[in-house]
Amino acid sequence: MPLFRIRALLLLLAAVIISALAAREFSGMRTPDTILPAPSLTHSGLLSDYSPSLSGTGADTKVLVYEGAARGGTFLLLGGTHPNEPAGFMAAVVLAENITVRSGRVILIPQACESGFTATDPLEGSPQHFTIPTRSGERSFRFGGRGANVVDQWPDPLVYLQFPSGQQLSGVETRNLNRAYPGRVDGTLTEQTAYAIMELIRREAVTIAVDLHEAAPEIPIINALITHEKGQEIAAAAVLNLEFVGLQYALELSPQNFRGLSHREWGDRTTAIPFLMETSNPIQGRLRGRTSTALLLDGTDPWYRLARGLGRMRITYEETGEPLERRVGRHTQGIIALLEAYNEAHPEAPCVVEGIPTYEELLAHGVGAFLK
Amino acid sequence: MRTILVVAVLTFLSTIGSSRAGAQTSPAFELPLLITSAGQSADVTMAGMLCKKIGVQAKTLPNAKGSDLAGVKTLMIVPGFSSKGLGAAGTSRDQELERVKGLISAAREKKVKILVLHLGGNARRGPQSDDFNRMAAEASGRMIIVKQGDEDGFFSAIAKEKSIPIDIVDKIASAATPLSALFK
Repeated sequence: MPLFRIRALLLLLAAVIISALAAREFSGMRTPDTILPAPSLTHSGLLSDYSPSLSGTGADTKVLVYEGAARGGTFLLLGGTHPNEPAGFMAAVVLAENITVRSGRVILIPQACESGFTATDPLEGSPQHFTIPTRSGERSFRFGGRGANVVDQWPDPLVYLQFPSGQQLSGVETRNLNRAYPGRVDGTLTEQTAYAIMELIRREAVTIAVDLHEAAPEIPIINALITHEKGQEIAAAAVLNLEFVGLQYALELSPQNFRGLSHREWGDRTTAIPFLMETSNPIQGRLRGRTSTALLLDGTDPWYRLARGLGRMRITYEETGEPLERRVGRHTQGIIALLEAYNEAHPEAPCVVEGIPTYEELLAHGVGAFLK
Repeated sequence: MRTILVVAVLTFLSTIGSSRAGAQTSPAFELPLLITSAGQSADVTMAGMLCKKIGVQAKTLPNAKGSDLAGVKTLMIVPGFSSKGLGAAGTSRDQELERVKGLISAAREKKVKILVLHLGGNARRGPQSDDFNRMAAEASGRMIIVKQGDEDGFFSAIAKEKSIPIDIVDKIASAATPLSALFK
């Protein structure tokens, strides 16, 4: 056999091996993350229970319900609206594995955009998984992309026309769950997901709802509590509660003319009082250096440290970095503060939840200490 | 529970008097009090809540205009830019600057005293916020500033240059002390 044929066969074989390995890794992201709910879990279901069109699709996701012995308000928490913002997802997992509800109900959707957990964003060099040491050994979780997987929803339009507002956004935003509310039952997969969440809020008579996010350190709404106008007083009280434990938060109002956002559409179209919180996540930032699992977990980056030192731009980046435990801790403490403020404002139907780790506890012991 | 503690601390702080950094004699600020924003940040809600907790009655109009000053003795301006807030109010930054300029002018004409309360710290500083901060601070008869917002001496310098009494407080909740003293 001529030498060129042997070379060609070897190259072909190498391509097959690399493709097989890549395919195995890629399809591995379809394996669901393990969440081990606290014994107080009352029942679990799927988002498709609220909109059957989601059943069997890549967007269907777990819904965990915890009911208290006494009647009270219903609290909905969304993690993983953007699967590349792990503090929101992990805060929801921490709640799922630790809480006990005394009065009212807690409904958790830890991975609201399940489809987005099955692929990372192109050209970002993101890790696909991260591991956290726990008492029972290391546990692995997926790190996904900002929107739904293109395998599940394709193609993106050049311009995304938000339904029903007609607001024009970049085409890629058509897969962004937090631009898709209120959604529609026969729309894109992301719109169907948004519709199912709206249905859940209505059918379960959710009274207070929180959507957890992260953002690049240079985004101005970091460490902000965003509220619909009907939640202003509760949010202001929560900011004071957070200040009491040494956490600074900026209070921000949900814009009325920016449609599709959870805090806008949930507030306008349901009886729930919605809030959204953001923490600083260097792995999403444009200034970041090496993109790695270490950056995701430790949140330390030499370029952000340099930018902080130069002081030429406004960034939210602590000298010691923005580790996952701090970011998850800010979210859990934020939830504690919001529930306290909500219960003060609605003593007739409080939602009393025990077992949510505080910011200090997460800083002291790490996220793994609160996972099974 | 936390809110009860906050109320208790605010009440306690308001009884032990002010910890003013400047310690200047304050001009009398009288009721009725109108609270407005300069930059449409939601800090205006925080200001309203602080007043409520210390028992100072106030009306909050984030978009107040000169015509809203009828009968008002004190105008509290809570400066700080928020793009989300401007979106919520359906206005632009330039329109907001014009509104605040007009309001300050009307307050001067009607001899309404202006009090500035800057609560947002770093988040309400920077180029977008500082036009509002400067405009409000320079027109004021007194400033109460949360320390983080004055780390570079921005407000202190204006206070010194214009001989305006200023209170620098550690936290939002601590602003209750000088605020309460001003309306006693």
